[in-house]
Order: sequence, then structure tokens, then C-alpha cells
Amino acid sequence: MEYMKERNRTASLRFKIIFPFIALGGLVVTAAMAAITVFILTAWMGQPIPVFGFEQTFDQPIAFPHTRHAGTGMMKSVDGTQELQALGLDCTFCHRTVTTQLNAGVPAVQQCMFCHQAIGPQSSPELQKLRAAAGLDGAVKTPVDWRRIHRLPDHVRFVHEAHIRYLTANPEAINNVPEQNKAAVQSAVQSNGQVMPSMVCSTCHGDVASMDKVKQVEPLKMGQCVNCHRDNNAPTDCAVCHH
Amino acid sequence: MTTQPETFGKHRWGMTIDVDRCTGCQACVIACQAENNVPLNTEQQYERGRAIAWIRVERYWEGEFPNVKARFIPILCQHCENAPCEPVCPVYATYHNAEGLNVQVYNRCVGTKYCANGCPYIVRFFNWWEPVWPETLRNQLNPDVTVRSRGIMEKCSFCQQRIRRGVRQAARESRELRDGDIQTACQQACPTEAIVFGDIANPETRVSKMRKDDRAYRMLESLNTDPAIVYLAAVDPDKAATGEAAHG
Repeated sequence: MEYMKERNRTASLRFKIIFPFIALGGLVVTAAMAAITVFILTAWMGQPIPVFGFEQTFDQPIAFPHTRHAGTGMMKSVDGTQELQALGLDCTFCHRTVTTQLNAGVPAVQQCMFCHQAIGPQSSPELQKLRAAAGLDGAVKTPVDWRRIHRLPDHVRFVHEAHIRYLTANPEAINNVPEQNKAAVQSAVQSNGQVMPSMVCSTCHGDVASMDKVKQVEPLKMGQCVNCHRDNNAPTDCAVCHH
Repeated sequence: MTTQPETFGKHRWGMTIDVDRCTGCQACVIACQAENNVPLNTEQQYERGRAIAWIRVERYWEGEFPNVKARFIPILCQHCENAPCEPVCPVYATYHNAEGLNVQVYNRCVGTKYCANGCPYIVRFFNWWEPVWPETLRNQLNPDVTVRSRGIMEKCSFCQQRIRRGVRQAARESRELRDGDIQTACQQACPTEAIVFGDIANPETRVSKMRKDDRAYRMLESLNTDPAIVYLAAVDPDKAATGEAAHG
């Protein structure tokens, strides 16, 4: 009898010592599981939230401002002394293969140099990087290692050309129309006409002309593809995109 | 002006293989391997019966020495209308699409291998290993075709990427698809033009006309798989006099 009491007391003492550790451990495990669940859910569904390391944008090796090149508003010059008009270049001026091929294509350094051989202040550090990449100022010619922002899920073949061709002829299917394009798209819809290829990019890419650093604004997951294909009576057979 | 999206479901793809023209040169096998990112087969893989070849040329010997004749027949996925592989797939990774193709969706496949067990033509292959190419061949992979990873089934796709490209090209030039616009890799490589690919829904195409030939037969017709590939039997000059066509 004495022996039994003794044993019970020791057991409960041990338990008293271990209990806080068990409780703490349980909390840690629960927190970890919750974090993993949120991680999987955000990665799986829709646009992942930036908090968990899914930044939708990167710093590029050369900070190329789309605002300055593709935008149309007024903006400060690089040295901040003057107010200048943004260039308002057409998307296809640089992304040349977008209307003919699968990939939109990132322009070669040589293409930047069409203009930047003459235009732009020598003092700009970003332009110095570009000149170095082009082999000017005694540097060795090296391609710029641009980082890819828009990445589709694996196992899908996306063709820019076909989508541009359809959307230019059917402007009513264009989404995310930015302010500066609204008038052109509206009039094309009303007159049953065509729009410029650069008017349709916003459907998937958003208003790139207003982004200092380009970021992905649409989830670009299969659900989005299929919804749009259904709305526009485009093929939804698996083999059309997955082969 | 309205542009329709790419046409789909209007065509029915089919193939005719003239066995009489086949010389067994294996050019189709190599062309297919290069086009469709089929991994390289080693001697060891052949010994284990694990080699992957979307198209293969089977050889048969006929007659007794010294009067022997070699017969060749290219065998690839027959894209059967009543495909035995399709109903057994638990995840719908293989199905028949509106263009008459037996489609294998790689990202759906979970590798049960039921389809390969059901196929009477033995043209479905399982990836037992992660495919490996020598460093020198890394850049020859076709970017339009998925590299199949370990654990999934693969088979002839009738060069789906070339079909899509041809349809897209026609849509871009706002015209109907012409006969001969789309060539499969094996057809393109065949030096004797034994392989003809095209739209069998259109009776005017070369492939449709060839299917009406007297020599036409389908492989393992008794199984009622209704293949999209029609073979034209070889003509044996020795037997032609008696009016008997040599099969295979």
C-alpha cells in the first residue's frame, strides 16, 4: 500500500514537470501546421499573398521603368529638374515577337541601344549598366540577365500570337482596360472594329505602363484560362494547351 | 470584324501507312524520338523490356532459307475509336477528344499503368525513371513538348504540337487548313512516303482517298478497336499473280 502511494506521487510529479513542455510543444506544432496550411492554400488558390515570400515582383538587374517608356503622362526627368512627357511607346515596339510567336520576347540589348546610344544622361547609373552590357565604354558585351515575372503553371503551352490575334479583333473580350486605353477600346467595340495589339495586353498583364516595377496582377492559373476560354467559345480540350 | 478562336473539333485526324513502301529504315523512329523528347533507350533498357519508342518498326521473316523475305511494319498508337486504354483510366488522364485523338494528359496521369495493360498494340510506355539526356543533347529538346517525368505514361500524340501549330498558322492567314499543312515527324522523315497523315473527315484529302484502297486493313481488326490508322497491305510480286495480298 505504501509502495503504491509512493509510486503515484512520483508519477504525478513527473507529469507536473513534463506538462508545460507538452502544452508548449502542442502549441508550436499547431502553429506550424497552420502556417503550412496557409502556405499550401495560398500557393494553390488564386494569387498568392506576398507575406509568405510570394512577392509578385523582383528587382531587375537594370531598373527598367515601364512608366517612362510606355506611360503617357508627365513625369520628372532623371535629374529631377524638368517635367517631361513619358514616351508612350507601343508594347510591340520592344516585345516584337508577341504578334507572331509563342513568346512575347524580351528585347536584345542592341534594341535598347537604338535610342540609348544617343538619348539619356551619361550620369544615370542604370544607363551606365546598359552601356556596359552593350559593350560600350570598354566593357565586354553581356546579355542582361532579366528576371522573369510572369510565370505560368507547369505543363501548359501558352501562345501569345493566337491570343493577341483574337483579342485585337474582339475588343469586347479585353479585361483590365487601363484609363488611357478606355476610349480606344470603347470605340472599337462600338464600331465592331479592331484595336492595336498593345491594347489587349492588359487582359493578363494589367496596366504595365503605370508600373515602376512590373508585377503580376492576375493569378494566371488554369481556372482563369478556362473561364476566359469558355466565355469566348475557345477550345477547352486538354490537349490544346497540355501536350 | 470578328475573328473566331482557333477551330477545334472540325477535323478528325487519321493516318495511313503503306506497308508495301516501308523499307524498315527506322527514320521514323529517330524522327519521333527527336521531335517528342523521347528519352534515349539503352541496351539495358531493351533487355529489361523498359524501352520507350512511340513508333517502332517490327520485322518479320517470311519463308525458308535461302528464299527469305523481310517484312516491316511500323507500329504506333492507333488512336482507336473504341480504345481499350480509355475507360480503365481512373483519373481521366487518357480520353478521346473531339478531333479523334487519343489524348494522354501528362499532368493528370498518376501512373496506374492500367491503360498499358489494356492496349493490344503495346504502344503505351511507362516512365520507370526520370529521363536523362547526355549533356550534348540538352539543347535539342523540343520546347513545344513536355518532358515526361518519372511515374507517368506516355504514347504517340499524333504530333499534337504540330497539329496546333498548323491550325494556328491557318487561322493567322485567315484560310482553311489545307491538306498536307500538318505533317507528323514520322511522316516528314519517311523517305518512301509510306506514312500519310491528315484529316479523315474531309473526303478530298490524300489520307481519306488512301483509306479506300483495296489493300486497306486495320491492325487487329477482330478486336473492334476501330483504329484511326489504316495500313495498306504489302504486295508480294510472287503472290500477286494469284491475287493474294501478303499481310504485314
